[in-house]
Amino acid sequence: MYSIELKNIKKNFGRTPVLKAINLAIKDGEFLTLVGPSGCGKSTLLQILAGLESQDEGDVIINNKIVNNIRASHRNLAMVFQTYALYPHLTVQQNLAVPLKLRSLTSAERNPFIGPLFPTRKRKLAKIQEKIIHTSEILQISHLLGRKPAQLSGGQQQRVALGRAMVREPSAFLMDEPLSNLDAALRVHMRTELSQLHRQLKTTFVYVTHDQAEALTMSDRMAVMMNGKILQIDTPDQIYQNPLTLEVAEFIGSPKINIAPAEYDTNGHLTCLGVKISFSTAMPEQKNVKLGIRPEHFEILPQDAKIGFLADVQFKENMGSDIYLHFKTNYFEQFFIVRCSPEKARFIAVGDRIRIRWIEEKILIFGSSNELVSFKKLKP
Amino acid sequence: MKNIFPNQLSSHVWFVVPAVLLMILLLILPVFVAATFSFTNYNLGSPDFEWIGTKNYEVLFKYSSYKKMFTASFTYIFVVVPISIILGLFSAILISSLRFGGEIYKTIFFLPVMATLLAMAIVWDFTLDPIVGIVNQTLQKGCNTNFFYSLMTGSWLGFNPVDTWYGIACAERMPNWLGDKKYALGTIAFIGIWQSFGFNMVLYLAGLTAVPRTLYKAAEIDGASGSWESFKLVTWPLLGPTHVFVVTITSIRSFQVFDTVEALTRGGPSKSTYMMVYAMFEKGVKQNLIGIGSTLTVVFLFFVLFLTLIQVYFVNRKVHYS
Repeated sequence: MYSIELKNIKKNFGRTPVLKAINLAIKDGEFLTLVGPSGCGKSTLLQILAGLESQDEGDVIINNKIVNNIRASHRNLAMVFQTYALYPHLTVQQNLAVPLKLRSLTSAERNPFIGPLFPTRKRKLAKIQEKIIHTSEILQISHLLGRKPAQLSGGQQQRVALGRAMVREPSAFLMDEPLSNLDAALRVHMRTELSQLHRQLKTTFVYVTHDQAEALTMSDRMAVMMNGKILQIDTPDQIYQNPLTLEVAEFIGSPKINIAPAEYDTNGHLTCLGVKISFSTAMPEQKNVKLGIRPEHFEILPQDAKIGFLADVQFKENMGSDIYLHFKTNYFEQFFIVRCSPEKARFIAVGDRIRIRWIEEKILIFGSSNELVSFKKLKP
Repeated sequence: MKNIFPNQLSSHVWFVVPAVLLMILLLILPVFVAATFSFTNYNLGSPDFEWIGTKNYEVLFKYSSYKKMFTASFTYIFVVVPISIILGLFSAILISSLRFGGEIYKTIFFLPVMATLLAMAIVWDFTLDPIVGIVNQTLQKGCNTNFFYSLMTGSWLGFNPVDTWYGIACAERMPNWLGDKKYALGTIAFIGIWQSFGFNMVLYLAGLTAVPRTLYKAAEIDGASGSWESFKLVTWPLLGPTHVFVVTITSIRSFQVFDTVEALTRGGPSKSTYMMVYAMFEKGVKQNLIGIGSTLTVVFLFFVLFLTLIQVYFVNRKVHYS
């Protein structure tokens, strides 16, 4: 069952199309990530879903109901903003109470002068207080309830923003780059916490990010967006291993996938960097293709090996657990990157000429219009 | 070259001496001189004076003309400050919500602030003239225009037109806006509002731009459905620092009202518009009574200081969020 569906959503800012016919169905309880470079329209899409922006065309469907004409305040969604958007004049406790008070108290009950006259107000406030305490315990912010946002660290503000979204049990959580204002270590930590929270709450999460690491680590499914279009929706594994287009392959994966031109000969054999590849695609009518090789799919060979090709090491990047070697070949202008273990790279210095090969079965082949070409292996 | 600052440690003193000297000479010393004179009966031109202790201050709180002065000043403040602030905030919110045309409105509302109040006061004098002024001429003509007459008297609401303010004015005579003690202070206050709300509007416009847009989005998501809800939740509290500044500035400026009084009423009729700065001017400059003039100045300074201290208190305590 789908809890949220977007059908044929289009949006223009002036004459610039930002969203070009987006279709997206989000399952109930799913953690879906919208990932893409900045300016791809992912935040706009989230705002349209939330009701903060209106689409030019198309339908937003929440729980099988078209909500195009329903205000954001009545869509029962919760949102966490990149800047947290906490009310600076209210304490943490009051911040958490805002969505509950606005929903459960009538405007007369909220009035500071005539509100206390209503007998129902006291009961409702007690219930609100209970929920706030419950939420703040889950997020471990109980000790912060009396403070104002300005007295909190970035991570604590982030938790309060999450809490404000959680207190009222919305039908879905929308998160607009919630971690990008945190420092690197905290960001990694919050990734696990968010995943745990999602498992605990079992509510739909729609998460917008430009950080592929967040998308890959947290989501059940991720939608890769570029230039106002969704290029691929699938599980993180599938997207990493079988990107449907060259753009997706280049966006997902760090360091970036290596792209090399290759050519078919008349017998249907591929040649790249002067090396023959022992498989062919199902569509041999395309003569020129591009090969995509992930940095971890290269292998460094002993100097005297008879296979592979020679490469000049130009740069060595030490990441601690991994070493990235940037190399150049005689055949091609562009740099390639190899990921290898520090043990293997220990005796390799900048300027060395090494012998490497690719792991053939891992190579991705992209056709002339950048689409992934399915291939089958040929017997040698 | 010889070192003119042989002692390195004293050089910084030389840097601040000119500024401190000027400050003392031009700002602090006059206050002390005024404070000293306020305990004397010194008149400009007389060869000597006597120390009379706090007699001047006693006079200030005893004589009816000074009681009228305090009444006029505080009435003026309590009318002008809230109305010009509410008008300023209201117009700022309306203008900031405009997609285009905001600049034109800003210019129009800001015109009275930029204009010389003394020159404007002369124009108001013409406008409000009891016989030939455009206001009373229009009102007079309206008496014979059925639509206007019924609108102004409220007869369309069921009032008896002859009993209403406009009905009486039509039957007898149009009000003398500046010459009647019933109207003079109200008229001066009206001009004060007309003159100062544009300034408050500009201050509020600046304050509004500092309110983060995402807070409105957050409020909307949190269930604030409607502009009044989000005004209460976001706009009003987030303008806190602006409120404090606007209230202080407007209060001080209202305290200092002088040009309109001098040009239009000269404190009259029967001291109904006898404001503090005007009294200061009248006693100290016109009548050369330096003693009582200084006393007024000191009292005035205390009021302004008090307002400023309130502002400082709020700025430091409650309304600063960052």
